[in-house]
Amino acid sequence: MNIEVKGISKSFESPDGSRVDVLKDVGFSLKKGAVLKLNGASGSGKSTLLNIISGLLLPDSGSVKMKGIEVNSLKESRRDSFRAENIGYIFQTFNLLSPFNVMENIYAPSAFAGTLKPGFKEKTVKILKEVGLEDHEKSMPFHLSVGQRQRVAVARVLFTEYPLILADEPTASLDRVSSETVLKSLLKCHDKGSIIIFASHDPLFDSLNPDMIFDLEKGGLL
Amino acid sequence: MKSGFILKAVMHTLKHRKGAFLISVFAIACAFTFLSAVGSVTFGLAASAVNSSLKYPLIVGPEGSSDTQLVMSTIFSIDKPRAKVSYDVYKELKKDPRVVAAYPMARADSIKGVPIVGVNNEFIRDLNEGFFQFKKGLDPDNIFDEKDMFRAVVGYKISEKYGLKLGSRFVGSHGSVGDPGAHVHAEFTYTVVAVMNSVHGPEDFLVYSSVPSVWKIHDHDHHHHHGHGHEDGDHHEKVEHEHDHDKDGDHHEKAEHDHDKDGDHHEAEHEHEHDKDGDHHEDEHGHEHTAGIHHEDGDHHEDEHGHDHDKKSAFEDPMDVRTNELSAILVRTKNPVATSELEREYSTRDGSTATDTGKTIRRIVQYMNKAENVAGMFSYGTLFIVLVMVFVTILMSINERKKEMALMRTLGIGRRSISLMVMIETIITTFLGVLLGVAIGHFALWYFKPLIDMNLGINLEPFIFTSIEVQGIFITLIAGQLLALLGMLRIYRMNLIEEVARD
Repeated sequence: MNIEVKGISKSFESPDGSRVDVLKDVGFSLKKGAVLKLNGASGSGKSTLLNIISGLLLPDSGSVKMKGIEVNSLKESRRDSFRAENIGYIFQTFNLLSPFNVMENIYAPSAFAGTLKPGFKEKTVKILKEVGLEDHEKSMPFHLSVGQRQRVAVARVLFTEYPLILADEPTASLDRVSSETVLKSLLKCHDKGSIIIFASHDPLFDSLNPDMIFDLEKGGLL
Repeated sequence: MKSGFILKAVMHTLKHRKGAFLISVFAIACAFTFLSAVGSVTFGLAASAVNSSLKYPLIVGPEGSSDTQLVMSTIFSIDKPRAKVSYDVYKELKKDPRVVAAYPMARADSIKGVPIVGVNNEFIRDLNEGFFQFKKGLDPDNIFDEKDMFRAVVGYKISEKYGLKLGSRFVGSHGSVGDPGAHVHAEFTYTVVAVMNSVHGPEDFLVYSSVPSVWKIHDHDHHHHHGHGHEDGDHHEKVEHEHDHDKDGDHHEKAEHDHDKDGDHHEAEHEHEHDKDGDHHEDEHGHEHTAGIHHEDGDHHEDEHGHDHDKKSAFEDPMDVRTNELSAILVRTKNPVATSELEREYSTRDGSTATDTGKTIRRIVQYMNKAENVAGMFSYGTLFIVLVMVFVTILMSINERKKEMALMRTLGIGRRSISLMVMIETIITTFLGVLLGVAIGHFALWYFKPLIDMNLGINLEPFIFTSIEVQGIFITLIAGQLLALLGMLRIYRMNLIEEVARD
């Protein structure tokens, strides 16, 4: 799968009523297995861009094309299902659904999308082992540490094998061991051909060897 | 799988938020318990009334009685009869070809507030529900006998409540509880000879005795009042006794025959009481104790023997030789036309009035329906407040779960699935609330049935669904759906992405 981001602009209304341009004419294209790092200070629009790419937010102008589909022109329900099948999103915190246990959190997106395949439980157990949570299959999110929760979020990405993975400061509040687990998992996804777009200040992520770095403050590729 | 997982997600969410969920369910259940109780009790009252109207289509009572008062004092034995109707009216009705059966009814004493109603053998026989307990050797069709006047037949529920079993003896108190003239008749001891099976009607809550036994007490009271000038409170009775006194002279002469028969009975079975009674009356009432003397008078015994051959018929129709008064007459007519004709005839003549039981009960039921409507409005009001509370809980729950819903959106779970989840949660909450409320309501009615039955004089059917309850179920479930839709709308209007961005 390739991704083509073209002329994305987005502005928000500030509390004083004026418009603030967050993104201005952002564009790039990535091929299968590519890694893109987003650079920029806090408030530079990294999260906004990730939300637009994921289809959660619509741009004021421009387009995001994946699998030959202009995602931002799809109806909301189609965007949701497109996201469920193609885009894995990892946040800094709050990645888990509290009513579900660890296993269910991993396969929930596929279950809601109705795309679960036979043997999904065995696959989940295997992935949990990979991220070091083999003893937590039935644990509830509130029983887990922050690092363990983030590992569950990564396990979810591994489970669904998304062609595109978006990660917004995924290790910002993690200890070294958990950060390494997250990184290892992302590398694995990369090896399988997933495109990875991430925003992180963690030097550990340099080992992902990004193909491109996009500086949002400077407004272009480095 | 998708819908299965949505349901699973709902169950997980409800489990995860069990505090708010259980409070909502319990609040709806409480409101419904109230609604079920109101429905069942009013239905029980109406059913009891309607059954009675089918049994006795016509009630003839004293002139001046209102229709409602006649029905209330005879069918439900609520309130005391305020006047008397002549026994001659009963005899006339009995002979009337339009009448299938007529039952005299005379009330005087009560036991622990339960009226002792004087009736005849036909009345007990025609109730036709059989006996729970019955004294060996008695003829079930002729329980009341002049030889043992103070026999009592006890309704099933009263027997249960007061432990009035076969062979139990009790004395009645004259007048109802709270009546300023009320006093105990220690000299008249009733013996329970039968306990009726439940007839599922007001009869279950009454004690029956013979009409002559009631008249015996009336005679006693009559003299008692004369001697003391008691302020009995039952002025009608007193006035009528005084008024009829001249006529009574006649009556007394005639009555002596029966008194003698009673005298026999008293001497045989209550000799000590009778002597005591006599002493008591002579001490306290002087001349007026003629009836007591009559009982011990040998002449009268001879006189009585002279009438011995006629004993049975005299007992079955003995009141023409007594004070000749009844509280009311319950009548079974041949057809509705007969009921209507008899009602008109007996209402327009002197000394009596008549009511079509069905019509009057319909009026009472209409009135009860109004009461039910008022109670129903309160119930619905409670339910409305509870549903508003449930809706607030749902909105709070949605607000609390904004972030989670936003996360669901990022995972590709659409608004439709999220809204569906909230909708199912609301429906489950209202449905369980209704189910629990109906169950608690009906089991509470079942548990408190003896208490309710006894206090209201009805035969409550705790597991019947009433119209108000069925309406309530539909209204609540529909309201639940509406709340769910409002919840869905709320989710549709929410900008969940802001939550993600805020993170």
